Amino acid sequence: MEGRLVVAVSPHIRAEMDTRRVMMGVIVSLVPGIAVGVWFFRWHALALLASCLAETLSAEALACILRRKPSTLGDLSAAVTGVLLAMVLPPTLPFWAAFLGGVVAVTVGKQVFGGLGQNIFNPALVGRAFLMAAFPVLMTRWVAPGPKVVTAATPLALMKFDHRATPLLDLLVGKVGGCMGETSALALLIGGLFLVLKGYADWRIPLSYLGTVAMLGSIPWAFRPDLYPSPMFHLLAGGLMLGAWFMATDPVTTPVTKVGRYMFGIGAGVLVVIIRLWGGLPEGVMYSILLMNAVTPLIDRYTVPVPFGGKR
Amino acid sequence: MSRRPWYREYLKGLWEENPIFRMLLGMCPTLAVTTSAVNGLSMGLATTFVLTSTSLVVSIIRKLVPSQVRIATFTMIIATFVTVADLFLKAKFPAISKALGPYVPLIVVNCFILGRQEVFASKNPTGRSILDALGVGSGFIFALTLLGSIRELLGSGEVFGHEVIPSWHPWVVMILPAGAFLTLGFLVAAMNIIEERTR
Amino acid sequence: MSVSARMMIVLTVVGAFSGLSLVYMDKYAEPYIALHKKEAIREAIGKVLPDVAGAEEVHRDEIVIYRALDSSGGLVGYAFLAEGPGYQGTIQLMVGVAPDLRRLTGMEVLESVETPGLGAKITESSFKEQFRGLEVVPAVGYVKAGRKPAPNEITAITGATISSTSVVRIVNEGLKEVRRVIDFRAAEPVPLKEGGTN
Repeated sequence: MEGRLVVAVSPHIRAEMDTRRVMMGVIVSLVPGIAVGVWFFRWHALALLASCLAETLSAEALACILRRKPSTLGDLSAAVTGVLLAMVLPPTLPFWAAFLGGVVAVTVGKQVFGGLGQNIFNPALVGRAFLMAAFPVLMTRWVAPGPKVVTAATPLALMKFDHRATPLLDLLVGKVGGCMGETSALALLIGGLFLVLKGYADWRIPLSYLGTVAMLGSIPWAFRPDLYPSPMFHLLAGGLMLGAWFMATDPVTTPVTKVGRYMFGIGAGVLVVIIRLWGGLPEGVMYSILLMNAVTPLIDRYTVPVPFGGKR
Repeated sequence: MSRRPWYREYLKGLWEENPIFRMLLGMCPTLAVTTSAVNGLSMGLATTFVLTSTSLVVSIIRKLVPSQVRIATFTMIIATFVTVADLFLKAKFPAISKALGPYVPLIVVNCFILGRQEVFASKNPTGRSILDALGVGSGFIFALTLLGSIRELLGSGEVFGHEVIPSWHPWVVMILPAGAFLTLGFLVAAMNIIEERTR
Repeated sequence: MSVSARMMIVLTVVGAFSGLSLVYMDKYAEPYIALHKKEAIREAIGKVLPDVAGAEEVHRDEIVIYRALDSSGGLVGYAFLAEGPGYQGTIQLMVGVAPDLRRLTGMEVLESVETPGLGAKITESSFKEQFRGLEVVPAVGYVKAGRKPAPNEITAITGATISSTSVVRIVNEGLKEVRRVIDFRAAEPVPLKEGGTN
């Protein structure tokens, strides 16, 4: 009986949600995407997942020891980073490179800033950006799905360099070259909707992000459908689904206000379309999110809500 | 002027007043040219030459220069020696001169060279000024060579052009500017840890 | 002595000294620098043209072309410097072309700041060798890796299409200038479809 009579200082409201729970939700919602990825890329995908996970977890543990802080393995954020990283790397990437990506993601992406909640950039994307700059050749070697290893270009690269469109159905199911998280748009959509419906992620960012890409992407397509991809293609190809639902919704590195979140999504959407259509790279989701991560503090600063009764 | 023993004037530049690791001055050449150990070393040597010659001249004429024009005078002396170094490298070491590119003329704006004149050479006798300049220069050479070696090692598996790790898969990023920032960040962090633990 | 007078004297003296030492240094360094420059150009000409014994500079309309001669004084071809923007910075090339201006004899990258590991492959022999014997009529073209190139086409470097096409564009632009100033018809009776005449 004693325990029930303890009175603490207000507020007394207790939410069901804590970091661990949200992170668990993210992992669960990634399961359909992982399952499809493993189906298409077999043991390559499994091995990549395992090495990324092993490395992000051990790097997290090591960083906590070095920083003389209690272990933060339990909040599962390192696990989410590992899974997300595995989903944005080419399935045939050598293990040591994936290992390195995991170390960079956790240490440079998160721990040097002071751990979860202090980081400026999405850790998994920091890891990928590092690998992209370190091993541009390995990071652009894609294979077609299936048990045999056959090199294949990603749908976006085919579009950009050869103006060849991939059938939308293939994009939806995921029968295309690319990394695990780029293949099946449908599986990722299911996971993303779960994330939003459970309230683990804010729907404003994916909505404004995807909406901007579709709208902006349809303008050049309306004039030259032979030269530019359709808005549907924009939505389904590449890492947009993964980025919009799982990376742009990372609460640490995105704005806290509602208006700010719309701004984040629109800004990232504009960047994706610009990079895809006029940039040197076929895909721009990673850099769009990283760049918007960088301006997030600025967005937060300009969208501070006015308190009730307060003056602007 | 200073009551420190003479050898301390030299040694302090290596660690406690190391321009890169402790004072974080002169970052522009540090980040830009350290793509390899040789480049870092030659940049360090060129800068040390300019720093030492300037300190020598400035400490000799320190009592003649009115304080109103001291910055202009120092800058002119620095610019002279920088141009001498640049022409010398172009004439005798064209390969190094090409690798360092515009960063040799840019030694002129290296802030710790002017900084040493302000805080040391203009207030101290010639002998101590030269020791101070050589010390800071050595610290700079040490920092740039270390940074260049690490970047060259990870970027190509070699140090000073000699293969260290056979069949190393190069990390291209280490030779790019991003690699310079990352390496410098980790080195400064490591130096801070050493400083903290040995105090 | 007043402060302003001292200021003027000190600055004048220091300025005079630095000016003098720079004049002396420049006198000392200048011949070496000119020598290195000549050396670099001669070396590059030797690489892009076969059996070069000597080369003479031809200035026409502000364009410098090197006429490369063999040991008996016969024309082995022309070499010219061409530069233009690459992916990250300026690319400077030395291009060798046969006397009839229909075939390249070689290409050498003198200066470039392309991405190491990708675009920097334009300096590797596997890329440069493609230009040896390449037909340049009507112009140099390129194909993506994995396709069969035509006699006037090179294969672009995988992942570095921009650097590869920059080289092709620089070569083409340089050729256009050279065709404008050299009377190729004297050596080759068949007129070109493209490219200017004198």
